[in-house]
Amino acid sequence: MSAPTRTDRAAGAVLGLLGLAVALEATTFDVLFLTDPVGPKAIPMLAAAILVGSGAALVARPGSGGAWPGHGILLRMAGAIAAFGVYAAILAPLGFVLSTTATVASLSMLFGGPWRRSVGAAAALAVVLWYLFVWLLGLPLPLGAVWEALWTR
Amino acid sequence: MDALSHLAGGFAVALQPLNLLLALVGVFVGTFVGMLPGIGPINAIAILIPITFATGMEPASALILMAGIYYGSQYGNSISTILLNVPGTASAVVTALDGHAMTRQGRGGPALAMAAIASFFGGTVSIFFLIFFAPLLAEWAIRFGPAEYFALMVFAFAALSSLAGGSVLKGLAATALGLLLATVGLDPNSAIPRYTFGQIKLLDGMDFVVVTIGLFAVSEVLQLLEETERGQAVTRGYGRVMITAKEFLSSLGAQIRGSVLGFLIGVLPGAGGTIASFLAYSTEQRVSDREGTFGKGDIRGVAAPESANNAAATGAMIPLLTLGVPGSGTTAVLLGALLGLGVTPGPLLITEEPDLFWGLAASMYVGNVFLLLLNLPLVGLFVRALTLPRWFLLPGVAALSFVAVYAVNQSAFDLVLMTGFGVAGYLLRKTGVPLAPIILGLVLGPLMEKSLRRAMSLSGGDWGVLFSSPIAITLWLLATASLVVPPLLARRVTAPASGATPTRTPPR
Repeated sequence: MSAPTRTDRAAGAVLGLLGLAVALEATTFDVLFLTDPVGPKAIPMLAAAILVGSGAALVARPGSGGAWPGHGILLRMAGAIAAFGVYAAILAPLGFVLSTTATVASLSMLFGGPWRRSVGAAAALAVVLWYLFVWLLGLPLPLGAVWEALWTR
Repeated sequence: MDALSHLAGGFAVALQPLNLLLALVGVFVGTFVGMLPGIGPINAIAILIPITFATGMEPASALILMAGIYYGSQYGNSISTILLNVPGTASAVVTALDGHAMTRQGRGGPALAMAAIASFFGGTVSIFFLIFFAPLLAEWAIRFGPAEYFALMVFAFAALSSLAGGSVLKGLAATALGLLLATVGLDPNSAIPRYTFGQIKLLDGMDFVVVTIGLFAVSEVLQLLEETERGQAVTRGYGRVMITAKEFLSSLGAQIRGSVLGFLIGVLPGAGGTIASFLAYSTEQRVSDREGTFGKGDIRGVAAPESANNAAATGAMIPLLTLGVPGSGTTAVLLGALLGLGVTPGPLLITEEPDLFWGLAASMYVGNVFLLLLNLPLVGLFVRALTLPRWFLLPGVAALSFVAVYAVNQSAFDLVLMTGFGVAGYLLRKTGVPLAPIILGLVLGPLMEKSLRRAMSLSGGDWGVLFSSPIAITLWLLATASLVVPPLLARRVTAPASGATPTRTPPR
């Protein structure tokens, strides 16, 4: 069995199981009095049925899924995902400019950018975006709870 | 003519300084967005949505900006296709056949000029069709009840599922995922929470901006990490960006046929620019390829698909605006934006919001003029942007995504959700599950559920109401046909590009 076929089988299995889980959860959507003849279960059940049906069909008759990258690239991807997660964690405490500089610089380096220029470009981008969004467009971005605490002390 | 006086009113809106500026910014950004890797029109519009909300822009102005990005990206697409043989989206795949062949022969300049002119031709001709057909369709659609709307949405889902890419099964699964995401949160009828798993932040439902940016922008960044080894884009000389009068006249037929065909296909749900450009190319080949020059750098092979995919982009606005039912990923994002701005597209839009509809139509005309004026002299600038290193470009896209997602609710939780959807989007791309039906399902799901429940309430629980009118029955038949016919056709003729999933990395 070739790798693409395996990909399709796995995708079908995951989609089908997800459909079953969705249907199982939908059985708990009980309402005390029915406000309409359809109720809250119909659309989730429809989605679940499609997922189970198409998942099962994919397992039975797989087509060609994609090819997967090697370990080095997967590792780099994990790094990028971690950078996104870290960003969500540090944005409020450290503020937009610093967190964006750190995250964008690490992403740049994951894309093979030279580190000095990655950090420089990231810092410049963070400052430009801050001025563009906060000053020009009036969008609230976090200043950083840590700095605010230091400031007001 | 009535339409012409309305159109004059539309120009009064479109020519206001702010709207003129927004149309210019829209098509300029759209050109880059269509051309560069890592950001497509869906991403760009999704990123703009929270920003336009925050600035309190008028709905008409926001729509002018976003539509500019949409049709502008069709132009930009052709630049990277012709020069680098890297189509930004699948709708430019066939342009590569003759367009890139011309570049290899050192005639990239004329190919670029032809693409710009054909795009202008397709874009402007189709606006006239829009002006005349949209009010007719709206008048007809006023008779639609909830049962007809439900059937219409089923048709839109079926068509996009079967045509969005590769396998119908995967398209259907994607639609189901979208419908499922749409049910997350409090059920508006019974007020019970669905799929929230006790998370208070999920009670309001999934914000489609967060989902869209995750699925499209973040997954694109992850996908492009696979290609960091690849060298930087190198463009070769392309000569003067001009075509001769003879070249223009020889391709005029191709442009006219491409525009009409593209528009008609654009109006249909599901098909969109990809199929329009593919059919226009193959039609043109059949009609005018007498010396067998197609595929070897025939300028008509650039003119036909480029006029068609621009006309299709305009055509796709018709079901969005007059029915409120988009047929593609990009128009689904536009619908989400309109709903967020408090505009409900539908049969009454043209009469109730004339400034929005006619202003948009007029601004699309203005925007196409801008594009033609921009594209010919500024090609050099666009080409330089193509050589921007990826380590600079893609983290920049990520930073814009962060700002937009954070701006939705000022919540870091949304950034985590975005990352999750990014990983999911990457896995779905890898397994060949198309992403556009997910967005359509997410945006249209609540409306579909509402129509179903309203129709069933009116009928007192009789499911027969869904099949009770000729319009509804026709739509059901169309939905069935769109699921059944394409796989049968595909079995008979193995169509080359028509079923290709949008990819930014075709084989070189």
